[in-house]
Amino acid sequence: MSNNNAETVVELDSVDKIEGGRWQPAPPTFLGQVLGENGLGRWALYLPVAFLLLFFLIPLALTYVWSVFERTQFWMKPGFTLFSYINFFTSARLENFLISMGHSAIAAAIAFVFGFPIAVFVRRRIPEVVQHRVILLFILPFMVSEIIRVFALRPVLGRNGLVNSVLIDLGVISEPITSILFTPTGVIIGEVLSFLPFMVFAGFLAMEVVPKYVFEICDDLGAGRIRTFVDVILPLAAPGIFAGGVFIFVNGLGVALLPNVLGGPGAVNAGLIATQAITALDFPLAMAVSAIMMTTLLALLYLGHRLFDLTKILTPFS
Amino acid sequence: MNASETPAVEVQGLSKSYGSVRALNGVEVSIGAGEYFVLLGPSGGGKTTLLRTIGGFVKPSAGKVLLHGYDVSALPPDKRPTTMVFQSYALFPHMSVARNVGYGLRIKKLASKEIRERVDAMLELVGLAGYGERMPHELSGGQQQRVQLARSLVLDRDILLLDEPLAALDANLRKDMCLELKRLQETVGITFVHVTHNQEEAMTVADRIAIIADGKLVEAGTARDIYEHPVKRFTADFVGENNILDGTLAAADGSKATIDLGFGRVDVPIDDDVATEGAPASFSIRSELLKLFPAEGKLPNGTQALNGTYDEAVYLGLTISHMVSLPNGAAIIVRNIADAAEHQKFERAQPVRIVWTMTSAHLHTS
Amino acid sequence: MTDEYGNIWAYTLKWAYTLLVVVTLMTPVFYVMYISFNENGFGAAEYVFTFDWYRVILEDKLLLAALKDTGILTIITTIIVVPFGLLAAKFYKRTRYKVLTVSLLLSPLFVPSDILGSALLVFFKNLSKTFEALSDWLGNEWFYGWFDLGYMTAIIGLVIYTLPYVFVVILITMGRYREQQTEAARACGAGAWQAFWHVEFPQIRAGIFSSGAFAIILSFNEYTRTSLLKGGYDTFTTVLISQFLNEGMSAQSYAMSSAVSFFAIAVIGSVIIYTLFRSEKLDRLARDKAQPVMSS
Repeated sequence: MSNNNAETVVELDSVDKIEGGRWQPAPPTFLGQVLGENGLGRWALYLPVAFLLLFFLIPLALTYVWSVFERTQFWMKPGFTLFSYINFFTSARLENFLISMGHSAIAAAIAFVFGFPIAVFVRRRIPEVVQHRVILLFILPFMVSEIIRVFALRPVLGRNGLVNSVLIDLGVISEPITSILFTPTGVIIGEVLSFLPFMVFAGFLAMEVVPKYVFEICDDLGAGRIRTFVDVILPLAAPGIFAGGVFIFVNGLGVALLPNVLGGPGAVNAGLIATQAITALDFPLAMAVSAIMMTTLLALLYLGHRLFDLTKILTPFS
Repeated sequence: MNASETPAVEVQGLSKSYGSVRALNGVEVSIGAGEYFVLLGPSGGGKTTLLRTIGGFVKPSAGKVLLHGYDVSALPPDKRPTTMVFQSYALFPHMSVARNVGYGLRIKKLASKEIRERVDAMLELVGLAGYGERMPHELSGGQQQRVQLARSLVLDRDILLLDEPLAALDANLRKDMCLELKRLQETVGITFVHVTHNQEEAMTVADRIAIIADGKLVEAGTARDIYEHPVKRFTADFVGENNILDGTLAAADGSKATIDLGFGRVDVPIDDDVATEGAPASFSIRSELLKLFPAEGKLPNGTQALNGTYDEAVYLGLTISHMVSLPNGAAIIVRNIADAAEHQKFERAQPVRIVWTMTSAHLHTS
Repeated sequence: MTDEYGNIWAYTLKWAYTLLVVVTLMTPVFYVMYISFNENGFGAAEYVFTFDWYRVILEDKLLLAALKDTGILTIITTIIVVPFGLLAAKFYKRTRYKVLTVSLLLSPLFVPSDILGSALLVFFKNLSKTFEALSDWLGNEWFYGWFDLGYMTAIIGLVIYTLPYVFVVILITMGRYREQQTEAARACGAGAWQAFWHVEFPQIRAGIFSSGAFAIILSFNEYTRTSLLKGGYDTFTTVLISQFLNEGMSAQSYAMSSAVSFFAIAVIGSVIIYTLFRSEKLDRLARDKAQPVMSS
């Protein structure tokens, strides 16, 4: 704090007034010193990031390491073996995994078709001040626990469920439809309903990047609705749509609950394989499945970034 | 050093870089106690950065800030003998005017009665007596700035920093507030450091002005000095309406230098030795010190002239500006009061001469 | 700014569609609530309205114990994650590496629950073993049991899960706040903490509390990560799931699901409504501020 000039070396905290008598700094408190900007406080800002680094990034990175360990009866021991991967790729699990990927992709596409128009509608036709409140409506289903929402589909889609009862009462069908629940259809429906709010949010965020005047220009130029959509909206909103799609796809693959509850016998996804492996105490296998999932996710994100420059989604946050 | 000689603010070798961008480049400024000092310059030139560094909101990359002789470079804003008035949006919206003004006093833990008295006195000083219970959003722009002033002045600190305080106000209000600020500073007597890009504002309030551009201090002096005798070319370009012509130094002897403009030569008065012959030099003269003469005829003694072609006149109410083109294409403005008697009418494309007394012009070598 | 020349029928249709989607998403939950009041449970021919099932679950000791544990997890998670979100938001505003920071903070959204849960499970077990080995080497028991599965590990998982949501909500709230006010407070003599507490916090309070409510509900409802990381005790969701899987959907489970869903919807519903009215006030204030400057 003191400068090099010998005659004015003073520790300012101990000076009461400047000659002329006007200024007194507020006395430093002990707590203020310790926690303040020059003490621990400076490091506080790094806390959340450090936390995520330690308990999120590192464990996920380590799944690659653990996936090549050897399995022991109750745990695993360090080594290098591709046994778990070979086990995975040569068993029926691989086939199921790929099938579940297909299902997730379908779910993502359906969610896009049903959810994205809502985001466009809200962004385009609803007054700006009200937009956020309308979007908030979609938080409501999200506030109910996912497990409840998923299990609740059983009484709705089942043989004696709501859908069948209503359809029979209306006379549309005479026999209950049994091919909705405990089938891939059920899983896909479950995925769509669980994650549709996210697609609406992602779509809305994506649309925030599209300024309103773009629509007005399109109208001015006489572009039809479809042309506007395909040529203008899609490219501008692509990063957000892609992010939403990846979100649904990855969660569809990774949430064990969905095939477990809604799928037929033998229905699995990556998440279910992983948790089953853990229950069977085959940890390297669980880690291998996790590693494969992470790789898929990273590959998708990288692909999206090359195609769309995903960083554009983050502009509303600046 | 005794108090009256110690500068209130002294900035030594101050530099600030943001990544590869140099916002301040080795700035040295000295501001006397009780002075109204203005930092004037173009947008993005570094004047706000300099002010904020003095205030403690920006940490310099190099250099020192001394306040009343004490090195405060390492101190945060709340520990410096400075306080600040911002351009806009700086009143606390969830507090009334009185609570806004009293905030600093509450931090100092003064007794409520004393706080109330001081707040009332300060509101009276800035002309807002009785506005204590209003909320900031109920006030006009000018009133909000006055509350900011009250909030800062009530703290009884040595130095008040003002960051473009009048920029958000409309032109008429700005004029009134300038005079208010000047009056306040004279009443309270502390040092004011005021940042603006508006010349008129600077000249109205300032005791001394410093021109800050490109992260450097260009020139400093009183308003009169800066306006009538600019040393740097940039100053001449930025302050007042100067005509500037660039050329090279042809000759220089003790009291006079000659500049070669390519299409003609002009003489300028100088004080002492300047740069070497052949060096680039500029010539400036204020537009109101030029006169228009016909192409032929006798000129008064002690004057210089250049030939040109008349373009047009622009009527601006108080003044008329005459546009003249020089042989090299340069545009010259000659300005005079609109209803002066010696107003002459010329026609477009008519050859004319611009005429001035030699002592009115200035030489700039940088 | 609705399109004045727009087709009013198209507009109404799209509104109706939007509401239809929301209703469809909520239908299963409402249906469950409907069943929960039926004395005869699901699939019965006759519907008899009763509160009985709710009385039953309120007396279920196992459930109550689970509720207590869940409550503890939820509260502690929220106490940790809300300040974390605030620090993260401030960090984001100051750092030069904005894209990297946001990506990191949002990345937990893209890692499904089972995967994260499994990875953390193995990670904690390894940490435990490493610490135990360290203890053995030092010849004491200091480091035993640090990362055994229990409250702390479950809380770590929940904090990771809820952090992105809290971060986004707080960041959006802070978007409206102007840093100059903190600077003005500092210029008045307030220290960094004082400036935050007196000036910034009152203005972002609403967002912080909303994010807190959000965090509470999210962590209360969370299942997978919690079940993998919690160790010995039960949480509400694990009790619910084990009931589902073992007894099928019993009448009690309907009541439990309905109770907690109703609670969650009520809380968020009131937050939404509150912000609705708050927004009215803020709009009015903004309008006042935006009025042309009067000379005075």
